[in-house]
Amino acid sequence: MSKTILAVDDSGSLRQMLSFSLKAAGYGVIEAVDGQDALSKAKQHQVDLVLTDQNMPGMDGLSLIKALRGMKNYQKVPILMLTTESGDDMKARGRAAGANGWLVKPFDPARLTEVVKKLIG
Amino acid sequence: MRSKDTSPSNELSMRVMRLLSLASEHGDQHLAEVERDLVQMDVLLDEAIKKLCASFMAIHRVADLQQEVLDGLLADCPAASGHAARFAALRGELDRHIGTAVTGLQFQDMTSQLIGRMALHLAGMRDVFGTLDVNGSVPPESGTEALLVALGSVSDRVALRFSELEGVVRSTVNQRHMESGDIELF
Repeated sequence: MSKTILAVDDSGSLRQMLSFSLKAAGYGVIEAVDGQDALSKAKQHQVDLVLTDQNMPGMDGLSLIKALRGMKNYQKVPILMLTTESGDDMKARGRAAGANGWLVKPFDPARLTEVVKKLIG
Repeated sequence: MRSKDTSPSNELSMRVMRLLSLASEHGDQHLAEVERDLVQMDVLLDEAIKKLCASFMAIHRVADLQQEVLDGLLADCPAASGHAARFAALRGELDRHIGTAVTGLQFQDMTSQLIGRMALHLAGMRDVFGTLDVNGSVPPESGTEALLVALGSVSDRVALRFSELEGVVRSTVNQRHMESGDIELF
């Protein structure tokens, strides 16, 4: 059974590219438009990895990570940030919130799937 | 009947008020134009990327179907097997172009973030221009002291607006390298 990834981004084109790349690599993808939507979908479906943007209306990526890490079934699930933010301060905040890695946009599909594979097989 | 105060200090007050009023009116007018253009730019960019994404997905689907047909032909026709390596190399080349296109299609997201950021700055600047107009709060010929009080109040409001704006605007998009971004696992 294929692993499922929750892809969170307020940009439709970004979600489309994420979904396209991850599905081509054999993963199932659930899309969410912001942190709140992601949280609700994470409660409905247990996913194997979360890939989230930082700057989104409503709940941002860091708040989403904190909320997920507060849920028993998401304490060990890998969470990656995929964002335009590349400053060390933001990375440190992501790490402190419980992110497992930081990817700066734009992503290369081959490198992205390589990282995902390393984390969830 | 009260005679008109033509003293230099009153003349200065009137001119300062007129200047602030003009700056407020014209500043707001021009920024509103820029705001409208930015919104339209975002709409056009969004439309362009939707069309490009749809075409990209369609091209990819067709390429996959072509590959299926080729695989079938190669399996059914041993004479064509000499071309198998060439077909595989072409497929590899196609996949590399697809990867580059996926990276390229993400630039709209970053551009759109910048446009959103500019729109917030513009809205903030329009607010600032709105606070400059002291015409309503200082009656004509009320003297320099009244104007000074009004200007002090304007300065406070401008400072407050700028400080509010700082808290609302997202950080900028600093990407300089046009290839894919860095990856760091913690």
